[in-house]
Amino acid sequence: MAVEVSSLSVSRIPPPPRARLFSRRGLLTATIVVAVVAVHVVAWRGTEVSLGALVDGWAGMVDFLSEAVPPDLRWNAVLLPAIEASLVTLYTALLGTTFSVPVALLLAVLAARTTTPGTAVYQASRSVLSFLRAVPDIVFALIFVTAVGLGPFPGVLALIFHNVGVMGKLWAEAIEEIDYGPVDALRTGGAGATQVVANAVAPAVFPQFVGLFLYRFDVNVRSSLVLGLVGAGGIGFLINESIKLFRFDEMLTYILVVLVMVVVVDNVSAAIRKRLA
Amino acid sequence: MESSKTRVESEGNPAAPPDAPEGAAPAPPRGADAPGVPRRKPPPHLWREGEVEERSRERAARLPREAPLLEIRGLRKAFDGRTVLDGVDLAVGRGEMVVVLGANGSGKSTALRCVVGLAEPDGGSVMLGGREIGGVRGAQLVAARRQAAMVFQQIHLVRRRSALDNVCCGALGRLPLARSVTPALFPRGLREEGMACLDRVGLADRAADRASRLSGGQQQRVAIARALCQRASVILADEPVAALDPAAADQVMALLRSLAHDEQLAVAAVLHQPPLARRYADRLVGLLDGRVAFTGAPEEVSTAQIEALYAPEGGLL
Repeated sequence: MAVEVSSLSVSRIPPPPRARLFSRRGLLTATIVVAVVAVHVVAWRGTEVSLGALVDGWAGMVDFLSEAVPPDLRWNAVLLPAIEASLVTLYTALLGTTFSVPVALLLAVLAARTTTPGTAVYQASRSVLSFLRAVPDIVFALIFVTAVGLGPFPGVLALIFHNVGVMGKLWAEAIEEIDYGPVDALRTGGAGATQVVANAVAPAVFPQFVGLFLYRFDVNVRSSLVLGLVGAGGIGFLINESIKLFRFDEMLTYILVVLVMVVVVDNVSAAIRKRLA
Repeated sequence: MESSKTRVESEGNPAAPPDAPEGAAPAPPRGADAPGVPRRKPPPHLWREGEVEERSRERAARLPREAPLLEIRGLRKAFDGRTVLDGVDLAVGRGEMVVVLGANGSGKSTALRCVVGLAEPDGGSVMLGGREIGGVRGAQLVAARRQAAMVFQQIHLVRRRSALDNVCCGALGRLPLARSVTPALFPRGLREEGMACLDRVGLADRAADRASRLSGGQQQRVAIARALCQRASVILADEPVAALDPAAADQVMALLRSLAHDEQLAVAAVLHQPPLARRYADRLVGLLDGRVAFTGAPEEVSTAQIEALYAPEGGLL
């Protein structure tokens, strides 16, 4: 099929010259590479990374693991409490994610450049989202533990606050990325701002919103596990207890239960996202 | 967010409801690409002898005695110091189909966008229904502009919603907020009106289908139905057929002309295809460098005049 073209008939035109190493662009690239390497060296020193310490301490880790295996799989004493506690962790993550939806939704609309009513509102809602994102959920949890005491409830509150910040930001970005043609179309038809958001923006962002919601639920399941370590109940609390009591075989059971839970959540949310796409 | 209620209802009632507004034609035969319009007068695909005189007579009988529904006077607009519109005058009367021709950047689309408020003119006046809209502000301005509906080259339907929901969205401007936040709350009367609009463009049988499942030509007809549901008296079409194949383009142009002639709307369409313009327009307007170069019935405008619009600066290569 291919037609042979003799080299004589191929016309050639010299392409524009390539950027040389010492051109302005070449220097800029070199500077960026040097700067990135330098930052990594500083970080290496700052975190006291030492391969020697890892080799020397190998024996300690082997001891730890040998005590953990085989896992303690007694039903009444370990496995059943583990399953119950992991359900509490799951519930904490669920409520922490769903209850953050209304506020995250409002802030996302106000903090998206394309739907915000004004610069002042935009800046204010961006600031609120940044603050909620900057404070780690574990800090929120410690604050709420002082208010409502130990247990899963402060964990739920902590997740709500932190998740509003993260999900609001992700949703605002999703809003900014949609095609704004239908918005123009409805606006020229006389639709008001709220009507436009409800009838043009909302249907367009819906799949992304659900996807991001499931992703945040995924993350929050693992977060609520960590919150359990500071006393917010759930399986994290059991893991912390077992480590304190040197019951590493129980700890391994808890971790295996967590593994199963995370894999199940992951697969379910992946299946839902696939259906929506 | 999809309204299952609307879906079920429209599926159960694909044809126009009995109390549809007048002008609703009988439901077209079921089929993917049932010709939307006009069923009585098939679009002339070939230029016929004798048609010129016939069309001139028809037009004389329709000649507007009232003020034009859309009148643009001395419209000026510059983007970053580059003049796009340099005193453009354009009037479109009731029942008239005007096609605006011009090269890229000649300001055709900008003129239309100035009418609906997607661009702010630097000078000149826009009158809709005999009323100047430059002087009014706020809700009154929105209400005044609602007389004109825009049809876009990129169609701009909400892809995840049904054809009917998209059509009903044309009515948002006259709907209270409480009934408009989701299609499930749209009043029954509006959904029936939307069905009649869809039927007018020949797509009543696709009412429940998602917009994204329709072909390009069907989508553009749904967009035109949305303009009808807006109850606009002026339809502005910004290169409505640029993304369509020739058959779909013919169908859309025939529909626009039928809306002008049969529904007595004022239609102004920007086109890039002179043959299509000649075939469907009552009047051609040529824009060159932000000014009106010519205006006249298709038979009065010479091919050379049209070609002059597209001559590259500094002459042909």
